[in-house]
Amino acid sequence: MAISSTPTAAALLLITILFLLTTHGTPLSSDTIVSELSSLRSQSSTGVIHLTDSLLRRILSLPTPRPFHSLIFFDAHQLHSKPELSLPALKSEFSLVSSSFQSNNPNENPQLFFFDIEFQESQASFALFGVNSLPHIRLIPPTASDLKSDSIQMDASDLSRMAESMAEFIESRTKLSVGPINRPPIISKKQIMFIVAVVLIWTPFFVKKLISGNTIFNDKNIWMAGAIFVYFFSVSGAMFNIIRKMPMFMADRQDPSKLVFFYQGSGMQLGAEGFSIGFLYTIVGLLLAFVTHVLVRVKNRTVQRLVMIFVMFVSFWAVKKVVFLDNWKTGYGIHGYWPSSWQ
Amino acid sequence: MAPPETPQPTTLRHAFGNVLSVFVLLLIGVFAFSIRLFSVIKYESVIHEFDPYFNYRVTQYLTKSGVYDFWNWFDDRTWYPLGRVIGGTVYPGLTLTAGTLWRILNSLNIPLSVETVCVFTAPIFSAFASWATYLLTKEVKGAGAGLTAAALLAMVPSYISRSVAGSYDNEAVAIFALILTFYLYIKTLNTGSLFYATLNAMAYFYMVCSWGGYTFIINLIPMHVLLCIVTGRYSPRLYIAYAPLVVLGTLLAALVPVVGFNAVMTSEHFASFLVFIIIHVVALVYYIKGILTPQMFKVAVTLVVSVGLIVCGAVLAVLIALVASSPTKGWSGRSLSLLDPTYASKYIPIIASVSEHQPPTWPSYFMDINVLAFLVPAGIIACFLPLSDASSFAVLYIVTSVYFSGVMVRLMLVLAPAACIMSGIALSEAFDVFTRSIKFQLLGSTENLQVNNAGESTNVAQNDVVKTEKNEDSQKERSSRKSKKKEKESTERVPLVSRIEQKLLVLPLETSLIAVFLLVLLGAFYVVHCVWAAAEAYSAPSIVLTSRSHDGLHVFDDFREAYSWLSHNTEVDDKVASWWDYGYQTTAMANRTVIVDNNTWNNTHIATVGTAMSSPEKAAWDIFNSLDVKYVLVVFGGLVGYPSDDINKFLWMVRIGGGVFPHIKEPDYLRDGQYRIDSQATPTMLNCLMYKLSYYRFVETDGKGFDRVRHTEIGKKYFKLTHFEEVFTTHHWMVRIYKLKSPRNRIRGKTKKSKSKASSTTSSKRSGTRKKNPWH
Repeated sequence: MAISSTPTAAALLLITILFLLTTHGTPLSSDTIVSELSSLRSQSSTGVIHLTDSLLRRILSLPTPRPFHSLIFFDAHQLHSKPELSLPALKSEFSLVSSSFQSNNPNENPQLFFFDIEFQESQASFALFGVNSLPHIRLIPPTASDLKSDSIQMDASDLSRMAESMAEFIESRTKLSVGPINRPPIISKKQIMFIVAVVLIWTPFFVKKLISGNTIFNDKNIWMAGAIFVYFFSVSGAMFNIIRKMPMFMADRQDPSKLVFFYQGSGMQLGAEGFSIGFLYTIVGLLLAFVTHVLVRVKNRTVQRLVMIFVMFVSFWAVKKVVFLDNWKTGYGIHGYWPSSWQ
Repeated sequence: MAPPETPQPTTLRHAFGNVLSVFVLLLIGVFAFSIRLFSVIKYESVIHEFDPYFNYRVTQYLTKSGVYDFWNWFDDRTWYPLGRVIGGTVYPGLTLTAGTLWRILNSLNIPLSVETVCVFTAPIFSAFASWATYLLTKEVKGAGAGLTAAALLAMVPSYISRSVAGSYDNEAVAIFALILTFYLYIKTLNTGSLFYATLNAMAYFYMVCSWGGYTFIINLIPMHVLLCIVTGRYSPRLYIAYAPLVVLGTLLAALVPVVGFNAVMTSEHFASFLVFIIIHVVALVYYIKGILTPQMFKVAVTLVVSVGLIVCGAVLAVLIALVASSPTKGWSGRSLSLLDPTYASKYIPIIASVSEHQPPTWPSYFMDINVLAFLVPAGIIACFLPLSDASSFAVLYIVTSVYFSGVMVRLMLVLAPAACIMSGIALSEAFDVFTRSIKFQLLGSTENLQVNNAGESTNVAQNDVVKTEKNEDSQKERSSRKSKKKEKESTERVPLVSRIEQKLLVLPLETSLIAVFLLVLLGAFYVVHCVWAAAEAYSAPSIVLTSRSHDGLHVFDDFREAYSWLSHNTEVDDKVASWWDYGYQTTAMANRTVIVDNNTWNNTHIATVGTAMSSPEKAAWDIFNSLDVKYVLVVFGGLVGYPSDDINKFLWMVRIGGGVFPHIKEPDYLRDGQYRIDSQATPTMLNCLMYKLSYYRFVETDGKGFDRVRHTEIGKKYFKLTHFEEVFTTHHWMVRIYKLKSPRNRIRGKTKKSKSKASSTTSSKRSGTRKKNPWH
């Protein structure tokens, strides 16, 4: 995703370096910056410091080697809505690493600070780093003087496995240990206690009910529906969709305004496609069972006749549709073997 | 349910029905056997693919040396120089079966070769499997459903794919063992006889001998037992069906060397032990309930429950601690990937990369079970109306297997019998209803009047009740032999009631006719599809290849040409190096020692061969020489367009080699991330051994060196080999064999140049090669 990379990046860099040179004279001790950053960090709940142009400038003004590493997450609010970038998810993972680092290394004098920087307010800094695509995470080692060449960009592969791989990246590049990632549990401890208590209290009652035989588990219709559902779920290839994370449908490559629901080629399927075929697979059997077990008990002949005609029509159509789609998708030509004299 | 629905069980009619059933079963057996012969007719009677060659070789050894030697066999022809203990690392069921068959035939003076017996083992056992399916389905829903299910199983494509003539693999006998075990379990459950329980344990033993898939049985049956207990269906029959199976079955399973103590140590088996404990507790409770008064029982329950809870808690804590202490929680990777489908793709790339471990898409179901996919839901519903112990087992079987097949396409094979049983039940019920409707309206119009006068409207509701009661009654009575008399009485009472009831439960004539026609059409489509799949899709042996072009059929028999060249032109103790795919075939057909084979148990060894193939000639020569290799075999498809050749597998060699020896780096072989062998290819690629051995003299074929698989001209056309010499290339260039040049010549050349330096250079060379050689 390209966000306008200014052609004057080099010029800006020059200006910055000039600026750095001019401010070099003023005694900006590293201690003041570190203490300021520490206080900023304690203000933030996750330990991620919001970086602005001026703050960055002040950090960079410190003489190398600086006493700390900086890890910067480049963010752009306008791109949060793009699902393929998954910026919000990455950002939350980033703050997870940050908070884990903070809790695992409760050091007064931290060696690593986590920053995030917003594109809209700090375009100059983006240009300074030469960042023109997101997601982008960059580590500035203490010795870095030229931001573009000396800082290290995190690879896409390191981003892929979320917080754990980010932590590995940090450990390999900074020799600082992040420690185990403390993911907040999905449900808090109090809730867990409550649920356990409820389950414990409820179990004896449930067992008693179960023995006496009037729970939903003793209703065979529930089991029947469950079995049919599992069957539907499996033959529709839903496992494939889950494991491969297939979308329900996708846009046509040639014509993006059109939607593709059926994918040609047997090695892949789309979500909606699988479910519709799974439905066709299941409906025929269900109708057949309905005819053989329910319809025979109906006394009205006309109703029987109409329903049977409907059932046969739907079943025939479903089978025909599946056969057609299968031939289309796989490209097989299934044919019989007749005696050659018949041809 | 069979008994109440058989009209007029006169002995003559029964006898006729039985004879007809036997005849039909015989035909089904013949059909199951003959539909699998396409591979023999279209190609010839050969063993297929890769793993079957290993099984074949083991069988040969077994027939030659006997069981005891087989048991202690240490194979030095493979994994040189490590070797492999065969007796302790194979499932012996298949080889013992084929060996026994061969022995019996020979003792009857039928002199068949071992290979012929091996080729036809799978079709024979698929006939057995369809008979076992008949027995199993008969126990669940009666003989009609049984026959239908057997016919369906005889030709289900999913099973054909693993059991055509020549595909001599574990699954060939294992599916029969699986169905037989289930049948004997259901039979025990229905009869409560210890005889069948013992047979069941034996069948389970056979299954354990044959296939690693036995863990499916030892988890499914406990699940069913637990389900029965939870839904209040506990009975002494259930106890007899389960307890002996666990005790005897586990003892017997531990006798198989490859399973051994795994039968009690791994988590796959824990479920059965847990249920074993539970069923004893439940049995005890039922027993105490029987001998105590209700009040005393209540007191006892409170006492036992309080004590039992404490004990259970303690045992559970110990168990959890034990299980949690192992890194994978005691489950093997494959089992875990079944429970959590996303597990393999996240953590085990080796399992995830194998094509038969992929999750299937919907066309796979249509290809492998075809129209059965439509019929199964009807079968499931039929099993619930009415629900018996046996039919609940059938439902559990289909539900678990269909879920597992959704995770791994390979397990479609386990689904196939279940789908056949369910579809058999569905088809048989449907035919039952439709033909009944036709029969009673065409033939019984006169009788109809008489009976209908008795009360058309009043009887309907009553009959329903009567019917379901009868079903349960008859089932219970079947279990106890004492009440046989009662059963006779009831069967005498049944016909009248059921006849009245059946006449009421009919559908309109003409629609029934159409429905029967449509069902027959569906069945016909199934047959056409299955024959097509057997003939076209699943019969290629992959050792002999054919291609059809405008000028007729071409046969590529290069593999056997190469292997027989090896066996005739090389010394018995020569070592042949190739990629692991061809290991089993080389040992079985050429009888030469290989470095690696398809039993990929030692990654380092495979990586060594991969490294050699990816290295330049000199380094490769050093590696191969250190392994005593005399010949190197490569498979090359560029001339005839055979896509699964070594050049296409080469990146795996690089990856696996690089995984152990880091100086092999995948990016060195890729130009901008693309794998190519044309003029844009990287120098590393163009100089590696695999490239050179594959394309040596290739330009002489057409003058340009055009590769028909990659559809490009090759990058480096004219080069000479320094450390290898070509000794054999097959007719279509599909297999090329090279010999390592002996080192002496090379040193002599050096000595001519500088005699004084000779000794020092060679010694330094030696030490230099030592360092580079990853083997040391």
